[in-house]
This record gives sequence, structure tokens and C-alpha cells, in this order.
Amino acid sequence: MSTPFLSVRDLTVDFHTEDGVVHAVDGLSFDVEKGTTLGIVGESGSGKSVTNLAVLGLHNPETAKISGEIRLDGEELIGASRSTMERLRGNKVAMIFQDPLTSLSPYHTIGRQIGEVFRRHTGASRAASRDRAIEMLTRVGIPQPKVRVDDYPHQFSGGMRQRAMIAMALVCDPDLLIADEPTTALDVTVQAQILDLLRDLQEQTGTAIIMITHDLGVVAGTAHEVLVMYAGRAVERGTVREVLREPRHPYTWGLLTSMPRLSAPVDVPLLPVRGTPPSLVNVPPGCPFHPRCDYTDLAGPELCRSERPELSPHRGHGDACYLTLAQKREIVR
Amino acid sequence: MLRFLTRRTLGAAVTLVIIAAITFFLFFAIPSDPARLACGKVCPPELLEQARHNLGLDQPLFAQFTAWLTGIFAGRDYGGLGYCPAPCLGYSFVNQAPVFETILDRLPVTISLTIGAAAVFLVFGVATGIIAALNQGRPLDKIASVSSLIGFSLQIYFVGTLALYFLVYKNQILARPQYLPFTEDPLAWASGLALPWVVLSIIFTANYTRMTRSTMVEQLGEDYVRTARAKGMKGRSVVMRFALRGTLTTVVTIFGVDLGALIGGAIITETTFGLQGLGRLSINAVTDSDLPVLMATVLVAAGAIIVFNIVVDALYAFIDPRVRLS
Amino acid sequence: MTVRKRSTVAALAVGLLVLTGACAEGNQGAPATSSGAPSAAAEPYKPPTITVGTAEDSKGPAIEPEGVVRGGTVTMIDRDDFAHFDPGQSYVNTATNFGLLIHRGLTGYKRVAKGDYKLVGDLATDAGTVSDGGKTWTFTLKDGVKWQDGSAITSEDVKWTIERTFAPFITQGPTYIQQWLTEVDHKKAYQGPYDGKRLDAIETPDDKTVVFKFKTPHADANYAFAMGGYAIVPKAKDTKEKYDKEPFSSGPYIIKSHIVDKTLDLERNPNWDAATDPIRGAYPDKWHMEFGQENIQITDRLIADAGPDQTAFTFYATVPPERLQQVLGDASLAPRLLKSPSPYGNYYYFNLDRVKDIKIRQAINHAWPSKQIQQVYGGPAAAALPTTILNENTTAGYEPYDLFGKTAKPEGDIAKAKELLAQSSDPTPTIVYAYNQTPLNEQVTVVIRSALEKAGIKVVAKPLDRKTYYDSIGLVKNEFDLYWGGWGADWPSGSTVLPIVFGPVADGAPNYAHLKDPALTEEMDKITAMADIDEANAAWMSLDKKIQETITPLVVAENRIANTLHGSKVGGAEIDPQFWIVSPNTIFVKQ
Repeated sequence: MSTPFLSVRDLTVDFHTEDGVVHAVDGLSFDVEKGTTLGIVGESGSGKSVTNLAVLGLHNPETAKISGEIRLDGEELIGASRSTMERLRGNKVAMIFQDPLTSLSPYHTIGRQIGEVFRRHTGASRAASRDRAIEMLTRVGIPQPKVRVDDYPHQFSGGMRQRAMIAMALVCDPDLLIADEPTTALDVTVQAQILDLLRDLQEQTGTAIIMITHDLGVVAGTAHEVLVMYAGRAVERGTVREVLREPRHPYTWGLLTSMPRLSAPVDVPLLPVRGTPPSLVNVPPGCPFHPRCDYTDLAGPELCRSERPELSPHRGHGDACYLTLAQKREIVR
Repeated sequence: MLRFLTRRTLGAAVTLVIIAAITFFLFFAIPSDPARLACGKVCPPELLEQARHNLGLDQPLFAQFTAWLTGIFAGRDYGGLGYCPAPCLGYSFVNQAPVFETILDRLPVTISLTIGAAAVFLVFGVATGIIAALNQGRPLDKIASVSSLIGFSLQIYFVGTLALYFLVYKNQILARPQYLPFTEDPLAWASGLALPWVVLSIIFTANYTRMTRSTMVEQLGEDYVRTARAKGMKGRSVVMRFALRGTLTTVVTIFGVDLGALIGGAIITETTFGLQGLGRLSINAVTDSDLPVLMATVLVAAGAIIVFNIVVDALYAFIDPRVRLS
Repeated sequence: MTVRKRSTVAALAVGLLVLTGACAEGNQGAPATSSGAPSAAAEPYKPPTITVGTAEDSKGPAIEPEGVVRGGTVTMIDRDDFAHFDPGQSYVNTATNFGLLIHRGLTGYKRVAKGDYKLVGDLATDAGTVSDGGKTWTFTLKDGVKWQDGSAITSEDVKWTIERTFAPFITQGPTYIQQWLTEVDHKKAYQGPYDGKRLDAIETPDDKTVVFKFKTPHADANYAFAMGGYAIVPKAKDTKEKYDKEPFSSGPYIIKSHIVDKTLDLERNPNWDAATDPIRGAYPDKWHMEFGQENIQITDRLIADAGPDQTAFTFYATVPPERLQQVLGDASLAPRLLKSPSPYGNYYYFNLDRVKDIKIRQAINHAWPSKQIQQVYGGPAAAALPTTILNENTTAGYEPYDLFGKTAKPEGDIAKAKELLAQSSDPTPTIVYAYNQTPLNEQVTVVIRSALEKAGIKVVAKPLDRKTYYDSIGLVKNEFDLYWGGWGADWPSGSTVLPIVFGPVADGAPNYAHLKDPALTEEMDKITAMADIDEANAAWMSLDKKIQETITPLVVAENRIANTLHGSKVGGAEIDPQFWIVSPNTIFVKQ
């Protein structure tokens, strides 16, 4: 069988800090295929962003220890040279960040920031890059792109800025687009527009997308597959349908109940996941979620506390929990 | 921009007149009589009165001030000493020269000292600051931090005197510090001022290293710098185009303040190296109770600070479009 | 007065000490650190002898210093540029000393040997002829004395020179001759020659002869004419105010270029004839002068003595306190070190309006911790301990005396002081001591307080601001009992000291002791009127002792010693003991 376009195996990212070693990502594996979207879901600090910065090689090699495998189109990225990574970034792999205001340079025009990516990777002339920037702005739906190309980010509205970010990310037709909470900083109507835009662009270009979010609603609207992360590990994986319809991991249940639904009665309070995420310096032994889990008695408290559950089954819809499938179905019902 | 400059220039002129007036009237508030200094060893009241009259100090204070002020625009007649054409900043009876001439004579010294030293400390300070920031926590960073701390605590008087003795007087490795006009011989100009530049820079460089380093570290953590790297921009271009741009604002601010202060006169440096610039002129004017020279040096110093403030504000707009377009 | 520049010049310049706030550093000196110089201290100092020379003595050329070499360029480095070139405005020693290079006067001081000086005719054939009981002085000009353009110096030039000092724009030079010719308020009597009016008291019977007719006898007028302020100005080239910037030379050099506060270059005056000049050697062909460096830098350059600095010296930059111990302790510098005690009279004046009991004043004199103060200054190499009002360096016919046992007990005689206090009106008096607030004076004050308190005298120390120190102590109605002040003689005679420091009492006048004694005034008038200069000098000296013995209006203060270096290839460098500045007359450049 063919190798996946992006294949991450046993990815571990440790940060050496004054307080100790932070185990930000611990033995994570996932695949993304071209033309599909993988949603990575989890609370902040669960390792979503760290994982994707690792894919782009943006961690400071002084402080971050990265091991495992990241293969992009068959090419190993861990340990790749700086120039290799610089060549890939913005070209084959692009990224959209959460806050477009702070993520765009206030000192340069939108057009220049878009154009320079194109120039950097294609060697196009300044004029050609500018034309390309205008073209990209048109594609992401910026009105009057020929005028706005010379604007500075602070002259754009929030939604337009994120469109510009997307234009910048897609200017070199990347094979993989990593969108890190692309809609979190935007208001709701704009959120939908941006997600629609991403979907349309994917249809046109066949780009693989990793959509990082803490919002299962975003996942539901855009992703094909979902990876739920907790404390640097994958706790559940499957298609959107599988995970949202038949969630199997107690943490996923928590996420789903904490998500506001238009259909829910107004007087039923939202139930956030009990407790706080663990410190990544001292990850609890066994299942890292066990201190917050309501079902350890059912699954076997000794087991939950001492042995780390692996994602199972290896393919398809899998989760990392000692509860039996039957128990899970019982609880969900 | 034009409106900005017009408004600021008008403001500057008003400020200068106010500063001049304050200086003028404060001078007469301190217990020091210029006429007494222009009167012989045995100074009977009659002679003192004569000296006072010769210096024009027997006029009412306000009349003296307006005479000084109008002299700047219309020139002034100094009787036996001749006519002082506009812009007449007065006549120094201590230096026996029109003050404007003296200022014109001293200004190039101070400007040369300032420009050279500023170039040295700006380049070195910013460069070491960048190096330190890029090597945060590593030995290079620590070396830069420690040496900037040492530089910061050094005294020009002390370093200058040592350097003069060993490098100039004793071993004659460097030329004796002196000012030679740039227009006559640029090489002699530079070699004559090299030591003062370096010594003056030692103290200033430290500040630029520290400021550049801390701002740069901050900038390197900015989201848009991360974006630049995520776009595949090369390391050097990320630093120079993105992180440095944000650092510039801070550097330009302190650079403007420093330049303004230095044009007013690097008193200790000029004294240590025997350079006759505005700094020494102003100190001597205070010691000699030489009002016209004192007024002029205060005006130049204040003017320099005001001008550089305007320049800094204009540069902000140039550096940061958010300032320009709001 | 002429404090043109900076306080140090002012402070050290003749007499400026008494005048203004700018002189604040006058009472400041070497550091408090030292325990004195090891070797150099012991050598006894011999004050100069100054006598009046003959017509033969007045002939040129000057007596050569040992090993003299002619030619070359000598470099002079100093902190400050010269205040004035117009003799009429010159009073400070730095200006008049430079004036020796470009100006000549009727008389001047000829160095015969080390410490041996004669007042001789400079432009005049001799030191003048006195007649009419001291009221008339006649001078005859030498043949062949010329201005820089080759024209002859005439008696009309001499007359013009004195007349122009009456003009309103001249306010800073000496005023003795003017007052003697007219009256004390001399500018009221005559306003100068520029409007055509001439002064009849100066006669010029021919081109070579000039006669001065004074209102009263002045046996020492020929000394007064030796002052730099009375050097001759050419009538034909007098540009009034502007002459200060464009002097016309009668001396051995001409100003070739002058950049204010930076450099000054001299070249030879072809019309100066060494054969007419008994005073100026003028050995170097050229002089290069640099200004703007601080004393410490100048001292460092001269210590290093490298390259071109070997032919450099300084007129006036003394070794600063920071370098004094290093310089005194380095035997290799000794051949290049010049020393000379101050020629000024420095005194701690009693305010006689407040300290009325002479026994108390004498007790304080006995208790005075001279040696301890000397230590504060830097030891015996940094300060001398004089015992007379008149300074040994500036008094012809100087006779030492020591009324209060300072030589035997320089640390003070507390027992004797207590004894005198016991006989006084108040055995435990309180003394308000005012001092100029400098770091050094703070230390001196501690020493004084400690010594006087041992004798039972309570000391209330009042620090005064430097800028207003002299204004404060100059008030007749001041609230202080004891304070420091100084005075410099204008020529080596008590006549330029005693009648001034014990002259009229007024706000700002130099009689800080407020000594009003008709008998004393009468005696001073009598001596001033003496026709015989030697008799007068002897009389001043004995009056000095009598004043201290019978009135005790002051404590004679410690006297700073100047230490000055010169480059190894400079010969003939000597501090003129009378003017306390390195004389240009004997300087030469070794090959």
C-alpha cells in the first residue's frame, strides 16, 4: 500500500526548562492524506500546536528535544538541515496562525508579506510577486485587491487579515496546510466564512490540511478525520463521523458535553471537563487522564493509575482507554 | 508630514525663546558679577561701574534681554569692537569674539565627536545586542552582557586618562587627540578623533547592547517573527527584516536622546582629551560668568535636543506605518 | 582683574585671591593623603634677592643660562589660553608672563643667577632717575629699540601708553601709575588721549626722554613700571579695544597665528635686537603653544616625555594632587621637576570688630596646627610654613621673624596658648571660623578645630559657598571671627601689600581684618613717602613684625608650593619666584 502523504510516528517533544523536562508530546502517531483534513482537538497545553510546530521544524533546537519520525511525502523532517526546512516551509508546508493581527508584521504591507513568500520559493521578480499577491487576495475574497495589496495589516479587519494570512499560506500552493486555531480570534459569522474559504480552497487545490482547534464544532464542519489529544498523547482517533457520533474516550465525552449546542435547552448548564489539565513536567503515571476521569472504578483503578493505555485498535476508530467497548456504549447511552 | 513639521518647528521656536529667557534671568539670580570679573585686581566702585557700563550690564534687565533677542535677527553695534551682524548671539568679553563665531568654531568639533562616536556605539552596540539576543543564554550572550556591564560602569575620565598615557603619550601608538577639519583632511580628522570616539563609545555602547538585546529577544518571540520563519524566510532575513525592524523603534528613541545630549557637549570627554567643543565652551562660560556664551551654548544644547526629538518622532512614522497612518 | 579664564588661573593669579568667587580654589591644594615627600622635603628653600641694577646691568644681551643652545622650536602646553594681549588689560601672571615674549616695558627684572634678580632698564637705559624727593621720575630710551615694523620706539609711545590706560575701555590692568599722576579716582581726572586731550604730568622733552611727575613721592615707581600692565603700546598702531586681539610687537617674537583656546605660534621679530635687551634670552627660533588640556593630562605628557613632548614645557600647569605623590616619589623625574613656594601672602584674618582681645588672637596663633595643615596639603613638598605677613619671595630686603614659635613647634604650642588665654578676658572663647567649602578645606577645618579645642577654644565652623565666599567675608558687618584670604604683591615691596590689606575698611575692600589704626596709617604713609627705596623696604619689614607683635590681626597661613614638570630636552626652565610661573626668558631647546 502507498505511504501516507504526511506520516508522524512516535513523535516525542521534550522541552528542557528550569522547572524540569516538559513532556509536551509523548509518542504521537498520525497520518494525513492529500485532499483530506485532519482535525486535532484538545485543550490548550495538550500538545496540538507543539506537534505542528515540530512538523514545520520551528522549535528552538537549543531547548526542544524531538524524536520519532515525521515523513512528508517520504522525506524525513526530523534532523533535516535548516536550509531543507527553510525550503519546505511556506512552500510545501504552510501554516496559518490563530491571531492574524500579531502574526502579520505591522511594518510591511500585506502585498509584500504575501509576495515575499512567492519570491523566496519561486525566485519570481518583485512585480510578478506583487501580481501573485493580488491574485491570491482575489482568491481569498478581499475586495479591491489591487488597492488593498498596499495596505498594512492594521488597516484590515480581523476577518480580512485572516484571509490575507490564508492567501499568504497558499501562495506557493502548499501540499500541506496547518491551520492553528484559524478562527478562534474571529467573530462567529466571520468564522464560518473562513472555514468555508478553507474548504473551497482545498477542493480546488487538493491540499492536505491539519486543523488544530479546541472547538469540536469546527472539526465537525471541516475535518475528515479527528485526533483527540490529551497531555501530549492521542486519546482517540477516527473519522469525524465515528468520533462525534460514537465517542469512546471519557475525555472526548467531556469535550462534547462542554460544547454549546443550539439544540440544547437553554436552562441546562454547560458541563466543562472536571479538574485541570495535568502539568506536563509531572504527567500522572498510567492513563494521564485518570485524575479527572469519572470511570476509573469501572475500568479498574489500579490499571488506570499504573499502566499507560495504548490507542487501540491500531487502525480506524481507536481510543486509549481501559473501558470495554460495551461499557462505553452503555455510558454513552 | 509637512503640517507635522511646521507645527513642531513653531513649537520649538517658542520653547527656545522661553529657555533663553529662563537662562537669562536665572543668570542674574546667581551671585556672580561678570563686571567684577572684568575689573582689575584693585576694583574700586568707580572702576566697577565703568566695567559694568562697558559690558552693557547697567541697562535694565528686560532691555538687555530684548537687545539680545533683537540682535539675533537684526544684528547689534558694539561701538569700538565693531558691528556684530545677524545672527548676532552677542559679544563675549571673555573670549573677545562675537559669540556666533565662537559657536561656529566649536560646533564642528562637537559634531565630529558626536558623529564618530555615535557611529561607533550604534554599530557596535546594536551588533553586540543582536549577537547576544541570537545567542541568548549561551557564552557569547554572557560575554556581551558582562562586557556591557563593565563598559557601563567605566568613567570616561578614568579610561581616557589611562588610554592617553599608554597609547598616546608613552608609546605613541595613536595620534594625540585633536580636531582637524574634515574638509581639509578626512584621514587626519578621523585619526585625531579616533581615541575620543572609542572612549566615548565604550560608555554608550553598553546601553545599546542592553537595549538591543532585550528588545530583540522580545521581538524574536513575536508572532509575526514566527510567521516569517514559518513562511520559510531565511534566518538572517528574519532577523534583519522582521525582528530588527521592531527593535529599531527602541534604538532610535535612545539614539535621538543621546545625540541631542551629545551635541550639547560631551563635557567630560572634551575636557579629558583637550578638545575645544561646545561642552567645554559651556563649562568655561559658567566659570567665567560669560552670559552671552552661556546663553548660546544653552540654546544650541536645547535646540539639538528639540531637533532630535522631532527627528525621532518623524522616524517613528517612517519605521512604523501604524504611527504614520493613524 | 582679569580672571579671564577658569578658576585655577584666577586663583593663582597675583592678588586675585582676594577678589571674587572665581578664586575659590585658591585655598585648595594637594590631597590629604600623603605623609609628605620622602626626599625632596629636606632641602632648604632660599628666597630670591631682588635689587636695583645699574646702567651697565641694563645693557643687553641677557645673561645666558648654563649650556644654552639657540634655535629650534619649543612647545608650551597649558590649560588656558591667555586672557589678554593688550598690556593695559593685563594683570594676571599668565598674561604678563606671555607678554615678555612680545612686549617690552620701561623696566624689568633681569635674572643674574638662580635666585638673584635685578630691576634694570628694559627699553630705558637704566632703572630710572628719581628727583624732586621721589616725585619726578626720568627715563631715557635706549638707541636701536624698535617696533616690529622697524620704526623706533619713542618717548611719545611711552606717554601714549600710560595715557590710554585712563580710557574707559581699560578696566583690568594696574592703576598705580595713573593714580600717582592724577588722583585715586583717576578715570574721573582724565579720560585718555583718544579725544585729543593729553596728560601734562607726563613730559617728553625729546624722542628719547620721558618724565613722570607724580603728586606724591614714590621711591619704588621704577618697580611699578616693570609690571606687565605698563608694557609699551605703539601710538601709531593703537586700535583701542581691538588692540587686545592684534598687539604690535616690541619683543623678540611676533604672533604668527593664534587660534583662540587651541594654539598660538610665535616667530622671531626681525626688528628685535638682543643687544638692547638685558632680560630676554629668546633662544628658540619658534614657539608653539597648545591650550585646552587639563593639568593632569599635561603632567602625564611630561612624565611620559616621549617624542615631541621632550621639547615641551608648561608655563603654569602644576602637578595636580592626583599625581603629586607619584611625581615626588619618582627620582628619575627630579631633574625635570621645578618647585617654588607661592609668592602670595595667605592669611587667616581675625575680624577685629569681634575678636577684640589680642591675648586671644595671640593664643590662637600659638595653638595654630601649621604642620598638621601642611600634612593635609600633601606634606612639606606641597606647602611651606611662612611666619611673616610679607612673602619672602616678593620682598626686597626680606628679614625673617617668628613671633609665635612656629619654627620650633610647627604643630602648635597648646600650653603657651592656654597660658595666654588664662590672662585674657575669656579663657574659653568661642570662635566662628568661616571657610570656603571645598573638600580640602573641610579637612583643614577639622585639623584647626581639633587643635584650637585642645587649647580650650570652641570652634564654630561655617562653610561658605565657593561662588560667594569672598562676597561673604568681604562684608564689613560679617558674622565671622576668622577666615582665610590672600593678597599678592605687585612688586617686591611692602608698599603693595600692607597699605592695601590694612587700607580702607569697606564692603569688598581687602582689609578683611577691619584694622583701623590711625597711628599705623600714618606710619604707612610715612614709609610710602620715603625717597630711599632701601630705607623704605627695611621700614616695611619692621612694620610687618610690629603689626603682628602689637596688633596680631591675622594668623599667617600655609603657603602652597608649585611643582611643575618639563620635557627632557628643555633647558633653562625655572619658575620665577616672584611671579610663580615658568619664565620664558631663559628657556632653550637642547639638541
